[in-house]
Amino acid sequence: MMNSMNVPSKRSTLERKLDKLILTLFGTLFTMCLIGAIGSGVFIDRKYYFLGLSKSVEDQFNPNRRFLVVLLTMLTLLTLYSTIIPISLYVSIEMVKFIQSTQFINKDLNMYHAETDTPALARTSNLNEELGQVEYIFSDKTGTLTRNLMEFFKCTIGGEIYGTGMTEIERGVAERKGIKVQEVPTSINSVREKGFNFDDVRLMRGAWRNEPNPEACKEFFRCLAICHTVLPEGDESPEKIKYQAASPDEAALVLAAKHFGYFFYRRTPTMIYVRESHVERMGKIQDVSYEILNVLEFNSTRKRQSVVCRYPDGRLVLYCKGADTVIYERLVGGSDDLKKVTREHLEKFGSAGLRTLCLAYKDLAPDVYESWNEKFIQAKSSLRDRERKLDEVAELIEKDLILIGATAIEDKLQEGVPDCIETLSRAGIKIWVLTGDKMETAINIAYACNLLNNEMKQFIISSETDAIREVEERGDQVEIARFIKEEVKKQLKKCLDEAQQYFHGVSGPKLALIIDGKCLMYALDPSLRIMLLNLSLNCSSVVCCRVSPLQKAQVTSLVKKGARKITLSIGDGANDVSMIQAAHIGVGISGLEGMQAVMASDFAIAQFRFLKDLLLVHGRWSYIRLCKVVTYFFYKNLTFTLTQFWFTFYTGFSGQRFYDDWFQSLYNVIFTALPVIIVGLFDKDVSSSLSKRYPELYKEGIKNMFFKWRVVAIWAFFAVYQSLVFYYFVTVSSSTSQGSSGKMFGLWDVSTMAFTCVVVTVNLRLLMICNSITRWHYISVGGSIVAWFLFIFLYSGIMTPYDRQENIFWVIYVLMSTFYFYITLLLVPVAALLGDFLYLGVQRWFFPYDYQIVQEIHKDEADDSGRTDLLGIDNQLTPDEARSYALSQLPRELSKHTGFAFDSPGYESFFASQLGVYAPQKAWDVARRASMRSKPKPKPNKIN
Amino acid sequence: MDTDRERHRARETAFYLFTQQSLPACKPVLTPGWVIAIFLFMGVIFIPVGLVTLRASHCVVEIVDRYDIDCVPEPSRMDKVSYIQDDSIPKNCSRFMKVHKYMKAPIYIYYQLDNYYQNHRRYVKSRSDKQLLDGQKYHDTSYCQPVESNNNRPIVPCGLIAWSLFNDTFEFIREGAELKVNRKNIAWKSDRGHKFGKNVYPFNFQNGTLIGGGKLNPEIPLSDQEDLIVWMRTSALPSFRKLYGRIEEDLDVDDVVVVNLMNNYNTYSFGGKKKLVLSTSSWLGGKNDFLGHACVFVGCSSLTLAIIFVLLHVKYRR
Repeated sequence: MMNSMNVPSKRSTLERKLDKLILTLFGTLFTMCLIGAIGSGVFIDRKYYFLGLSKSVEDQFNPNRRFLVVLLTMLTLLTLYSTIIPISLYVSIEMVKFIQSTQFINKDLNMYHAETDTPALARTSNLNEELGQVEYIFSDKTGTLTRNLMEFFKCTIGGEIYGTGMTEIERGVAERKGIKVQEVPTSINSVREKGFNFDDVRLMRGAWRNEPNPEACKEFFRCLAICHTVLPEGDESPEKIKYQAASPDEAALVLAAKHFGYFFYRRTPTMIYVRESHVERMGKIQDVSYEILNVLEFNSTRKRQSVVCRYPDGRLVLYCKGADTVIYERLVGGSDDLKKVTREHLEKFGSAGLRTLCLAYKDLAPDVYESWNEKFIQAKSSLRDRERKLDEVAELIEKDLILIGATAIEDKLQEGVPDCIETLSRAGIKIWVLTGDKMETAINIAYACNLLNNEMKQFIISSETDAIREVEERGDQVEIARFIKEEVKKQLKKCLDEAQQYFHGVSGPKLALIIDGKCLMYALDPSLRIMLLNLSLNCSSVVCCRVSPLQKAQVTSLVKKGARKITLSIGDGANDVSMIQAAHIGVGISGLEGMQAVMASDFAIAQFRFLKDLLLVHGRWSYIRLCKVVTYFFYKNLTFTLTQFWFTFYTGFSGQRFYDDWFQSLYNVIFTALPVIIVGLFDKDVSSSLSKRYPELYKEGIKNMFFKWRVVAIWAFFAVYQSLVFYYFVTVSSSTSQGSSGKMFGLWDVSTMAFTCVVVTVNLRLLMICNSITRWHYISVGGSIVAWFLFIFLYSGIMTPYDRQENIFWVIYVLMSTFYFYITLLLVPVAALLGDFLYLGVQRWFFPYDYQIVQEIHKDEADDSGRTDLLGIDNQLTPDEARSYALSQLPRELSKHTGFAFDSPGYESFFASQLGVYAPQKAWDVARRASMRSKPKPKPNKIN
Repeated sequence: MDTDRERHRARETAFYLFTQQSLPACKPVLTPGWVIAIFLFMGVIFIPVGLVTLRASHCVVEIVDRYDIDCVPEPSRMDKVSYIQDDSIPKNCSRFMKVHKYMKAPIYIYYQLDNYYQNHRRYVKSRSDKQLLDGQKYHDTSYCQPVESNNNRPIVPCGLIAWSLFNDTFEFIREGAELKVNRKNIAWKSDRGHKFGKNVYPFNFQNGTLIGGGKLNPEIPLSDQEDLIVWMRTSALPSFRKLYGRIEEDLDVDDVVVVNLMNNYNTYSFGGKKKLVLSTSSWLGGKNDFLGHACVFVGCSSLTLAIIFVLLHVKYRR
């Protein structure tokens, strides 16, 4: 279990910053206590005879032992000012977060996946607000971005494109251009099967015979049906057969052949049986057996696969499929038009995020074949360097091919992935794809997800270069390591230099980095790490391919620790566990691939696209709410404690409490507790649909705009101001007699007056930070103020025989019998809040936050429930018109990217096992072994 | 049944709105218009309130006379502490107070002490409310440190506050005739009725070696010792006034009131001031401009801000 790590306990960044704030508060507390204590040491003097200091005096007030006085007063003041530390803050935060996660995140219908009946699941309530500050997302590919489902989607045969489907990325591009795309109603008799998502009346049900080039079509289908290493399984009927293939691509191709009328149903070591329907005439079915003479297997250097077969009528044909680059190199001269058109089609497929393969064939003369076959058998039976020799032999025959066409397979993305990624990147979040797949596949998916496009400057650092391969062939491990490291260093340096040029330019292209696992291993070396970090942080997207699970975690912690940014990892499989644990937030995709990822994660969602809701809505709200709760708590305790502090100066620094004990204890528990929790639950700056419509709002969270020291300082400033208002307004105005009876107030009358003002003001201040005020706000704020009055009416009205220190007895009734009480109650809160109000008004007017601007744009709109999509743009076109217009708007241009990707997903686990890493066995491992078992068999037959 | 189901559905809807976070809410947006309106509103409210308050305060006539220095004879002024502590020297002293404005009865008499820390922690807690209400039935006088007992017998009322009772006395004479001073009903009724017992009489009070202040008539129950009750409602600030009595005759302009006072109380050791205050009262209370000024200030600044914002609004229209 090399990849397992200690399960980290995660705390949110905001909480860690909160700890710093609490430490600052402790510092403030000690400073205040120190000032008070020194004051008491200086103050205490026998001359104040009324304090009875002449005889034996306890240490706290003994003028002969001033140092002791200072110490003891320090302790007294510590307890007196301890209200500055918001102990109940932690409890309140926990409550708020708990409800946020269990009631809001877990029950959000926008994150509920109906098909699998999976709601979102917050497995921890610690990290809600962290979701609002994510800057880097590390995503696994298979199962997270894609469904690991290959579907035959389009093809081009003899220069003609077939297939009417539209990929997510095309749809995304169209939507961005503001074209509404209608789903095309599939034709009535279209076939839909897992792995086959193709619809074109021109090809289906034998209609291809009426196309201009039926011969090419026939070769195309035969190539699909014959050139593969798929094993059929189960009943030999088109409905029930199952194909076992090393890669789902192959299965999809064979499946496609089946639907085109070339049903491959049986394989023996030497033969392939194909049931060909509609070959000459509709309705006629014939079983044809092809003898497989040689199989030239696929590997990553060859990037192609060929089969030599003999028709029942003796015709010898080589069918070949492979990457466009390698096929085009080996084509026979002539028919440039076809090549050009097909290349255009390939580019179009590529930019639509499809995986392409070129198909070609070649008729072989028997004598040419025989002489070649001898070489082949020789190579195959050689003991040394067999692989290389086989490749060389294959080169001899795989030439002068005739291009038939190309297939386009959709690596089915999860629903809504490109749109989600686009929204997230507008929110300032950078998305890195970390995958075990190989580079072409990864790049292809990056295109499909809109992470890469042709306008970007792409830096590719790959270990698949000729120079490295050459060194690798020599086989000296130390030398290989040294060489690759050198190479990686050189490459990094080059890329960084180039990248730097783009920074200096004003509007350079966006940058993207693509790096493979082997290079990454060396780039993560401490000496190169800084360079890698510098480069990758400046790229708007990064793709790491062929990485092991451990490297996923390393990359995550590189950004987490090196750049000190908030990271989120999302994945679905066991190989993502370490990455999920390494990131600040781990998100597991629940549902398909077992539970390991979910068990390790902090949040589990059913679909990648729910990240949008999780981050932009829940994360953002939680962050803003928590910031409000924290700063407000800070403010209310500071204000309260400071009034007490100012009073200390007027009591000879004796540590006399200004407020009754009960006031002080209940202040945090009852009189100000509930409203702030309500804000933590219900405050909404903009509605959820606006949050998603303006993803840019999220950037405020990334920049931590609402819990900066500056924000805290502003709160602190107004806390000081308000406490001065409370203390001085109330004491100065009560220095003369109150009411017409000429009687004077005592200490407890004044303090009760001040406390009333504090409670009222602090609760009203809460309403001023609310962006939306529900009934519960009124109830809680009103309830808190009423609770104070109820309490004081009871408390000052009752005298018990048990506690006879009734300072507060009848105080509130005495107060309320004077006009002074009412005028002060009107004046002091207003005077205290005047500064805050002015600040809020000016801030919103002249230095508005982004969310405030959005608020004002939409202030007249009714709050939608977040379910309707406001973005729909009505247009008056008919569906067909709209669709053809949409298609015409798609980028046709220039793409160099043709989307070749052909690789077995088993690669991921294969690669992992190469690195000594455990990866779970998957179904296709078994399939591959099955196909390998059957393949050696042709050889002995041949010898016969 | 139907109502039950309806109620159930209503509860479900409410819970749905809660979990989907779409509770109906009002969304106050603090636009410049609102800011201006609120400032204007506050200006409109506070300026009249302030003016009314100020007017009430201005109706009050107040005469203040500091007497602590002048009442010490010239030769003793170098050492005022030994003068005040010497019981053999008579402490009477006469002051003249000129009425500059017509004062309508009742005229309240206050004494004012400065730099006197009645709110010191050691002082505030040195009393026993139980004892004040129940007298010697209540024996635990430990709250009253350091003046809890004398000659092993508890003191009633115990504690520093009672011990340091203010004991200057004042007599007022106008044109040869004594002005009647009403010294009843100078304490809050709640104190008289509920904190000081009707059957509690002073006992063993000021019998020690150190005399802190005034003595009490042991014949009168504590609930009628209003000087004590007033004194024991400790003040909030080190500078405070306490009600001494009422003159229930009007005083005319240019009347001269002669005050014959006994300057007994020692404020000299800690440099405190003693003042005598005669003051009428309005519906609001004594002469204190602070509330009025504050209201007017808040009102005016609100108005000013409103005007500034209007100007800004006109100039930089959004």
